[in-house]
Amino acid sequence: MATDTEVDLTPRLKTDEMLINMGPQHPATHGVLRLILTLDGEIVRHTEPILGHLHRAQEWQGQNRTWFQYQALIDRVDYLSGMFTSWAMARAAEVVDGCEVPERAEYLRVMVSEMNRITSHLLWLGTYLIDLGAMFGFPFYPFREREKLLELFEEIAGQRMMFNYIRIGGVMRNPKDAWLSKLKRFTEEFPDRVDEYEAIVTQNPIFLKRTKGVGILRKELGMDYGITGPSIRASGVNLDLRRTKPYSVYPKLKFDVPLNDRDGDTFDRYIFRIREMRESNEIIKQCLDMLPQGEISGKKQIAGLRVKAGEGFAAVESPRGTLGCYIISNGSDRAYRIKWRNPSFCNLSILPELLKNHPIADVMAIFGSIDVILPDVDR
Amino acid sequence: MRNGAEILKLGTLTLVWWCIIFGAVWAACYIVGILIPMALTSYESDAARMTAETCRALTPILSVLVFIPINAMFMVLFERRGLAIFTVRLGPNRVGPDGYLQTAADAVKLLFKEDITPRGADAFMFTLAPIVFFAPSIFGAMPLLAAVTNYHELFQIANLPTGIFFILAASSVPVVGIVMGGWASNNKYSLVGGLRSAAQAISYEIPLVLSLVTVCLMAGTLDVVQIAKQQSGGILNWNIFGGGALRGLDQAISLKFSSSAPALQELSKSSFEQVLKSVYLEPTAQALGLGAGQEGLAGIIAAFAVVLLIGSIWIAYGLYMTGACAEINRIPFDLPEAESELVSGYNTEYSGIKFAIFFLAEFTNLFIVASIAAVMFFGGGDCPVPAWLGTALGGPQIASVINQALTPLIEIKLVDPPTLFATIWVILKVYSIVFFAVLIRGTLPRFRIDQLMDFGWKRLIPLSLIVFVLVVYAREFVNVHVGT
Amino acid sequence: MLALSLVTRAKDSLYQICRGLKTVAMHTFREPITQVYPDKMPDTNIRGRLALAVNPETSEHLCISCRQCERVCPDKCIEITAHKSPETNKLELIEFKIDHGLCMFCGLCAEVCPTSCIINTNDFEMSEYSREALVYDLRKLTLSQEESRYYFDRKEIPLPKPKPAKAAPAAAGAAKPAAAGKPEEAKSESEAKVADAKAADAKDAKEVKQADEPEKQTAAPEEKEETENKEGSDKSKD
Repeated sequence: MATDTEVDLTPRLKTDEMLINMGPQHPATHGVLRLILTLDGEIVRHTEPILGHLHRAQEWQGQNRTWFQYQALIDRVDYLSGMFTSWAMARAAEVVDGCEVPERAEYLRVMVSEMNRITSHLLWLGTYLIDLGAMFGFPFYPFREREKLLELFEEIAGQRMMFNYIRIGGVMRNPKDAWLSKLKRFTEEFPDRVDEYEAIVTQNPIFLKRTKGVGILRKELGMDYGITGPSIRASGVNLDLRRTKPYSVYPKLKFDVPLNDRDGDTFDRYIFRIREMRESNEIIKQCLDMLPQGEISGKKQIAGLRVKAGEGFAAVESPRGTLGCYIISNGSDRAYRIKWRNPSFCNLSILPELLKNHPIADVMAIFGSIDVILPDVDR
Repeated sequence: MRNGAEILKLGTLTLVWWCIIFGAVWAACYIVGILIPMALTSYESDAARMTAETCRALTPILSVLVFIPINAMFMVLFERRGLAIFTVRLGPNRVGPDGYLQTAADAVKLLFKEDITPRGADAFMFTLAPIVFFAPSIFGAMPLLAAVTNYHELFQIANLPTGIFFILAASSVPVVGIVMGGWASNNKYSLVGGLRSAAQAISYEIPLVLSLVTVCLMAGTLDVVQIAKQQSGGILNWNIFGGGALRGLDQAISLKFSSSAPALQELSKSSFEQVLKSVYLEPTAQALGLGAGQEGLAGIIAAFAVVLLIGSIWIAYGLYMTGACAEINRIPFDLPEAESELVSGYNTEYSGIKFAIFFLAEFTNLFIVASIAAVMFFGGGDCPVPAWLGTALGGPQIASVINQALTPLIEIKLVDPPTLFATIWVILKVYSIVFFAVLIRGTLPRFRIDQLMDFGWKRLIPLSLIVFVLVVYAREFVNVHVGT
Repeated sequence: MLALSLVTRAKDSLYQICRGLKTVAMHTFREPITQVYPDKMPDTNIRGRLALAVNPETSEHLCISCRQCERVCPDKCIEITAHKSPETNKLELIEFKIDHGLCMFCGLCAEVCPTSCIINTNDFEMSEYSREALVYDLRKLTLSQEESRYYFDRKEIPLPKPKPAKAAPAAAGAAKPAAAGKPEEAKSESEAKVADAKAADAKDAKEVKQADEPEKQTAAPEEKEETENKEGSDKSKD
C-alpha cells in the first residue's frame, strides 16, 4: 500500500539512524506525551510512546472518595469532554443502582453532551491546524465559537470545563429560559461558521497535500487495536454507541452517523469530525424542541449519596470514542472498585503503526488526527 | 463596518510609526549627510573636505542602520495587529498609548534576558550565526536605497551597475547563518531545522532568481535604479503590466487628453490611432517581416504578445513572491522553524539578544523582499497615477502647493520633494505587500519538506523557465520600455 | 493532456487558496470578540472564590459550624474551629479557614451548606505572592451585607429566616435592629416562609443528626456582634 506521499529511500541510501526525543515538553504533543522516534533521515522508522506523565490515580481516587465527591473529580479525566466522563460514571452507577432518570434530565444530558462534543471537536480543529502549521489565523475561529459554548456551560454548570453537571440519577441544575434561547441562537448560526472553516481549510491545496493519503488506518488494523470514535468511523467501521447500542433518548432523535466506505486517512478523520459537529448541532436543535417538563434528578443529591450494592458497566460515545466505566459497589457511600475504559488510551496505541515510514513532519499531522488527550490516556 | 474603530486604530498606528521611522532616518541623514559637511566646508582645508566627503559617503549605511531596527520593531507590531484584526481580536494594546510601544518593550525585554549558550554548543559559531544571518540584510538593501530615494545625490553612492545581482547574492548568505546556528546549537531539532533551511533556500532561490531575471530581461539592465526609472509615468508603465508593453496605450491616451479642444478632436483621434500603430503594429510587422496589407495579422500578433507578456509577468510575480516567502521562511514555507515538528528549528536554543537578532533579521528580510518586489514590479518610487490622469485631477497644482509649503525646508535642504514623494509611494507599496504576507500567514498551513521540494523543483522551476522563454519571445513583438 | 490537467489543478488550487484568503480577509469587518479584561470586568457565572455570606437583612453571620462543608470537601481544604459555648450550650464559630491554593472550586461545599452560608462568589482575581496568603481566614472570607445581598439575588437563593430574637445572646444589641427593622420583618414574612420550605428541603438533604442541632443555634462570634450593633445603630440613624 505504497502511496505517492510515502517516502521510501531505503534501498538506495542508507544513513545512520537517529534517536530523537519528542516531548514531554514539546509544543505540539497536546500535553505530556513522550515519543521516542527512531529516524532515518527525516523518516520515522520506529516510535515508542511513553505514557504516565499525567497519572493522577483517578481510579484509586474513586475508591477513596464518596460518590458525591468523586462526581466532582471525574470531569478531570478528560478535561475537554467532562460531560461524557460524568455521564459514563452516572450511567454505570445508575445501572448498578437501578434508579430512574427523569426524561427531562435525559434530554438535558444529551443536550449538554452534544454541546461538549462540539467544543471538543472545535478545540481539536484549532489545535490540529496549529499542528499543520496554520498557527496564526485560523485556530482563533473555532475557539471563538467554543467560547460561546463555554459561556453557556458556565451559566448552567458554574464552570467552563470542570462542569460537575451530570450527576448520578439526573443533572445538577435546571436551565433558565434565557439559557435555552441563547443555545437556540447558537445552533442557528453555528452551521454558517462551520461553512467558514471549511471554506478556509477543507479544499486548501496545502491542507489536502498534508492530509490526503497520510496515516492510513486500515479497518482491520483499527479493529484489532480497539480504536473507537470518529477515527474508526472514518475507516468504515459502524461503531457509534448512540446508534449501535442506543442509550438515553438517542433512539428518539434523528441524526446521521457518517460512515466512510474506505480505509480512512488523516483527511477523512478531519472531515468526519466536521460532519459530526454538524450532526451534534442538529441533535441539540431537536432536543431544544423536544425538551419535556418535569423533574431533573431521580436521586437526591446529598453528601451521603449511596449506590446499591452490585456491579455494572456502562459506556457512552465520547468525542474520542467509547468511554466506558465499570463500577463495583458494596452499598456504602463510596465505590468498591472503579475502572475506566478510556478511548484516548486505546487510540494512542495505534500511533506507532500509523507513524511507520512517515516523515517526521507527519508525526504531528497523524498524532493530531487521532485526537488523543493526554489526561484521558494517563488518567 | 462594525470593526471600523479597530481598522482606524491600525491606520493611525501605522501612520504614527511611519512618521517615527522616517523622522529618525531623515534626521540622521540630514545631520550626517548635509549639516556636518556644510559646517565643515567653512574650514576649507583638505582634512575638512575629506571628512565631509566621508560623512556624505556614510549617509546611506547610516540610514539603513537607523532604519532597520525601528522598522523591524514596527513590522512586528504591524503583523500582530493585522493578524488580530483578521482573527477578530484586538491585538497588543497595553504598552504605551494603545500598544504603540509593545514591540519596543519586547525588544528591551529580549536585550535584558540572560544570554544562554547551551552546554556542548560551539560557542564561537553559536555567536557568529545570528550575525551572519543579520549582516547581509544591511548591505544587501543598499542598491535598493538608491532606487527608492528617486536618485537623490546622497544615496547615489549606494548604487551598483549590477544592483539586482548584488542584492540576490547578499540575500542568499543568511542561510549560512541558519545552518551555522543549527549545527552549533548541539540540538537535533536545530540541526534538522538548519539543514532543512539550506535545502529550501537552494531549491527556491532558482525560481526566485529566474523570475527576477525575467524582469531584468525586459528592462535590459541589472541596475535597479535604471529599472525603477524605466517604469516611471504611472501604473501602466510598471513592470507588473508588461514593463512598458502598455506604454503605447498610455502615450495614445495622454495625447487624447492633451487635446481636449473640439476642433482638435478629429486630429487627436487620428493621432491616437497613429500612436498605437507606430508603437505596436510597426515594430511587430518589422519583426515578422510583414509587408503592407498584412497589418491586421500584425495587430493580432501584437495584441497577443502584449497579453502574453502581461500574463507572464504576473506569473513571474507570483513565482517571485512564492520564492521570497520560502527564502525568508515565512508561512507556508516556515519549515526551518516549524513549531509543531521541530520545536522552533534553528533558533530553539537561542535566547536574549541573539534571538532578538534572528527575529530582527527575519522581519528585515521580509521588508527587503517586499521592497525588491516594489522596485522590480511596481515601479519603485513612481506615483501609480498616470501623468494624463494626474493632470486631469490637478496633480501639478497640488504638487506646487506642497512645494510652496515646503519651501523653507527645501532651502535648508531638509526636504527634497521628489525623494519625499518617492519614499512615500515606496513605503505604501511595500507595506501593502507586507500586509498581504500577513494575510497569507493568517490563512495557510505549512508544507511538508518533501512536498516543498516537489513543489519547488517540479512545479516552480519549470514554470519559471517557461515564463522566461515566453517573455523572450513576446518581447520580440512588443516594444518594451521604448525611449528609455 | 498532462499539461492541461496541471494547469487546471493549478487554477483550482489558486482559486481555493484565494477563497480561504478572502474568508480570512472578510473577518476584518467583524466586531472583535476580545473582552478588554481589567477595564471591563467579565460578567461571569463561575464558581469562584469561596466566601461566607451574612444574612442580607440582619447581617447575622449565617455559619452554624455544622462542618458539613468540611466533611464533603474532596480536597480537605476547609478547616473549621468551633467550641461549645458554656452559656448557651451551643456551637460557636471561632475560626473558619479555607486554603484556596488547594481548593478545586467544585462547589460541593456550597451545595451541602444548610444555611447557604458558604457560597462561590464570581470573583476570580485572587493572585498572591505566597501560598500562605491564599489561606483565607474568617475575616477575609466573610462578605459584607451588600455583597451577600448581591449574591443571594444573583444566585436566586431564598433569603434566610431571621434568627429568633430571644436567642441572641446580647439582648440590648438585638433590640435596636429589631426596632429599626420592624416594617422589614413584616414584609419579609412571605419570604421567610419560602426560606422555611427551603430549609426543610435542605434538612432532608443532609445527614440529619448533625444538621438538626446546629439549626437551632445562633452562634455569632463576639466581633460579629459588635459590627451588628454598629450597623444597627447606623440603620436607626437613617
